[in-house]
Amino acid sequence: MIELIQFKRLFIITLMVIATCPATAQWIGYPTSDVPRLADGSVNMEAPTPRMANGMPDLSGIWISDNTRPGEPTPSDGFSLSSSRLMTNMGADMPDGLPYQDWLIPIVKEHTDNLAINDPHIRCIPDNFLRAYGLPHMLKFVHTPDLLVVMNEMNAGYRQVFLDARALPDDPAPSFQGYSSASWSGDTLVIETIGVRNDTWIDWNGSVLTEQAKVREEMRRLDYGHLEIKVTVDDPAAYTKPWSVTLKQRLVVDAELIDEICLENERFVEHMNLPY
Amino acid sequence: MTPAKFKILFALALLLETSLVLAHHSFPAQYDINQQITLSGTVTEVQWTNPHIFIHIDVKDEESGETRNWILELGGPNALLRLGWKRDSLKPDDLVIVEGSLARNGSALVNATSITMAETGRTMLAGSSRE
Repeated sequence: MIELIQFKRLFIITLMVIATCPATAQWIGYPTSDVPRLADGSVNMEAPTPRMANGMPDLSGIWISDNTRPGEPTPSDGFSLSSSRLMTNMGADMPDGLPYQDWLIPIVKEHTDNLAINDPHIRCIPDNFLRAYGLPHMLKFVHTPDLLVVMNEMNAGYRQVFLDARALPDDPAPSFQGYSSASWSGDTLVIETIGVRNDTWIDWNGSVLTEQAKVREEMRRLDYGHLEIKVTVDDPAAYTKPWSVTLKQRLVVDAELIDEICLENERFVEHMNLPY
Repeated sequence: MTPAKFKILFALALLLETSLVLAHHSFPAQYDINQQITLSGTVTEVQWTNPHIFIHIDVKDEESGETRNWILELGGPNALLRLGWKRDSLKPDDLVIVEGSLARNGSALVNATSITMAETGRTMLAGSSRE
């Protein structure tokens, strides 16, 4: 009986797909070049890692979260957006959760209990890069030998990672993405970031980074279609000890960014009668 | 339908399931997924805007004869474009049938799951957020 219900559900959705397929717009569906494919035409996500002329892994591409929920499809097309199961709680896979300092515990509890109605994301504040890895918005990596630029279609945001291993600033003016410098360790790009703003939300529960945060990302393109980012956060102002989480990204092909400028017509705060 | 075509459609159906997980805000704070509603009405206004699209429709109560203007919240333009919408897919005076979740505050506000064009029967997913 359950199978019958599931089949009916899928059948209805299939009909909806048929109804929506004919329309195309802008560069949606524009074919990505040099995509390795299997015999059945699907993207060979396990094909070898693309490399730059200098032999290093090429991180370029459009990426979406691959920290999926059990059983969730992981398409590589540009028509669907997935979000991370860690989007709500960055410490969801940690047995004891994130090691919050005492002052942060009641704040996270309040945000969790009230379903994050005070989330700065809702008020159109830019998302920090850690959070962006998990939200259902496409990220476009543009990789040159000296610079990695990450473009976020949400609020048309950007992040720069300098690949010349430059020294991080001594007294940085805090910014939403901080200051990022990187170098290669074998095929792993090691990115060090400091200088983010206080109260930078990294998940829906209101876990934060502070100005004291040092964030290390060990970024590896495992194959053609998968990016793995081991993140280590050392932020003694917010956490009792450093913690690590592995964030995964999946390549999407035949896709392009489409701006989502939040300030245009955000109505959540108005509809909920909340203060700005 | 050939097995190959069925496989493709089946896969697309699964993909669209994923597409429903679009999010700009915490869905359960504003809407109650357990209060599903079906509305039939006439489009009066289309706000093709970020981060979410809003459609206004007039719905006539058959018993009282009174007309109420409802606001439908959909996904954002980028999500709907990817689902096959165009910015003029809906226009004022279009007759539509809407499935969605009611707002918790009792207002005439619905998070739309799907919209069906009454004239053609074409159903379009609305990029509804469930998180």
